[in-house]
Amino acid sequence: MLPARRFTWTTALVYILLILGALVVLYPFFYMIMNSFKPGPEILNSPTRLPSRLTLSGYAGVFATLNMWRLFRNSLILASSITILNTGLSALAAYAIAKIPFPGRDQLFSFMLATMMIPGVLFLIPTYVVMYRLGWVGHFYALIIPAAISVYNIFLIRQFIIGIPNELIEAARLDGANELQIYWRLILALARPVLVTVAILNFIGSWNDFLGPLLYLNNPSTWTVQLGLYQFQTSVPGENAQEIWASMTLITVPLVVIYFALQDQFMQAFANVSFK
Amino acid sequence: MAQGITVVPSTRPTGSNRAASLWSQMRRYGWGYLFVLPWIIIYLAFGLYPLALSFYLTFFDYSFIRPEDYVFTGIGNWLRGLTDPLFWRSILNIFYNQVIFIALTLGLGLLSALLLYKAIRGGKIFRTIYFMPVVTSVVVLMAIGNYLVSPGGPLQALLLQSGILHQPIFWKFSNWLPMPVIALINSWKWFGVSTVILLAGMAAIDQQLYEVAALDGANSWQQFFGITIPQLRPQLFFLLVINVINGLQMFTEVFTIGYDVYGGPNHQALTPVLYLYGQAFDRSNMGYASALGLLLAVLIAILTLLQFKFVPSEA
Repeated sequence: MLPARRFTWTTALVYILLILGALVVLYPFFYMIMNSFKPGPEILNSPTRLPSRLTLSGYAGVFATLNMWRLFRNSLILASSITILNTGLSALAAYAIAKIPFPGRDQLFSFMLATMMIPGVLFLIPTYVVMYRLGWVGHFYALIIPAAISVYNIFLIRQFIIGIPNELIEAARLDGANELQIYWRLILALARPVLVTVAILNFIGSWNDFLGPLLYLNNPSTWTVQLGLYQFQTSVPGENAQEIWASMTLITVPLVVIYFALQDQFMQAFANVSFK
Repeated sequence: MAQGITVVPSTRPTGSNRAASLWSQMRRYGWGYLFVLPWIIIYLAFGLYPLALSFYLTFFDYSFIRPEDYVFTGIGNWLRGLTDPLFWRSILNIFYNQVIFIALTLGLGLLSALLLYKAIRGGKIFRTIYFMPVVTSVVVLMAIGNYLVSPGGPLQALLLQSGILHQPIFWKFSNWLPMPVIALINSWKWFGVSTVILLAGMAAIDQQLYEVAALDGANSWQQFFGITIPQLRPQLFFLLVINVINGLQMFTEVFTIGYDVYGGPNHQALTPVLYLYGQAFDRSNMGYASALGLLLAVLIAILTLLQFKFVPSEA
């Protein structure tokens, strides 16, 4: 039975390689968590070895020295405001572009798509100048307002809304609902899968953002987790190893938990990119 | 869009009916304009206006320290950028980094997608694991990566033990090692995106193609290079374009792994965005930084166009 045997060998090889890959991907995370529970001197002297005893002093230190709660609060305020605003406003525009044939709509949509071609680096300096003149530097809205709506998300949501039958919308109109009520009651409910996808993209994007907070949030009381971690790492080189590993673990865990809970939607968010 | 109003039997005279439907249509258009208004306002304020301002600023020496001193320099900033050895070093660095990164991330993505495609059971768990670094922040992953590949870290310890290395390497200070090392860490972070996109592409390939090829006696390798790779062209092309556009704008990776805004003493880790950040916020040369941004954008545009022209994107 040569074919059957060859099949099992291939399968075995496939799984061996998959497991090997998983170990390589997971090891750095394991390394981070392991070091976060390790006594300080051991991190420096034997970084790769398992801890001789587990300690929580790194975590205690983080909350004592780094004002972790405030960092978390700031990141949460930023990420959730951007997520709610961007998802809601992008869906609003997407509904109009998908289902309300107002004059100039197609030209506007083509223009929107064209703006996606411009690389972000072009906006870095002039947007800072604009924010500086507005007096927004140092405030959350310097990050929230420009991110309140985005073409890529409008595009993703529009693709989905186009598939919603016109009859449903017409029926709601005949029942006397205006467009805003249709958006609020019908579209937000029917487009839920794509809205979850967009919300996820928004949330990880803003939670993990570093350059934005680095540019605009110059006051330590407004720092986000990413910025706080960076400042903490650079301000005390070689010291506070325990606290650094503990804070990295703390920053990563919420996202990984959300990721495991919503993994299918995460995959959708990335696999759904459309090809011309 | 079909207007389903005719579905309702009307008892009113046609004329006023038409007026009413016209009025309701106008109202709908009004809502439509209102719904796209937020984008228009935000794009005017934080898109078009900054773009115009950026172009304008390139013709001036402008600094935050003395904002009242606008000095017109014509195309001086452009010429300065084109002849600035540090800018070209940053371009060279980022190309060097991206060639390695794109090869690694596409190679790893293709290999893992193929393995996941072959795995009948449990593929989902592995896919979930491979994608984990993608959702983790660059700051955290660069910090971990930094420790893992540091002279006292596990990777070098392993290489020393196995005799591949004879002494620890202080790669951060080397002239040509930082870019490949950062590319290696980055490909570990990002290959999951390629995996997911390529796997979706593989799943969409018509099985009959393989069956016909197998009947013709094609072996697995021939099927892979003759069917799988050509069929994945749209996905591979998309990944290439996206990676080039994003990769050339790398900043956070080099900045958070511990380099200053000049990319280290020998500029070994200087990237274009790091350099323009340094010019803008360390030297306060906003005009020059804007010119560097535009030069980089032009370069990205040229590369993107070249890819559209010369890389086959259709199967």
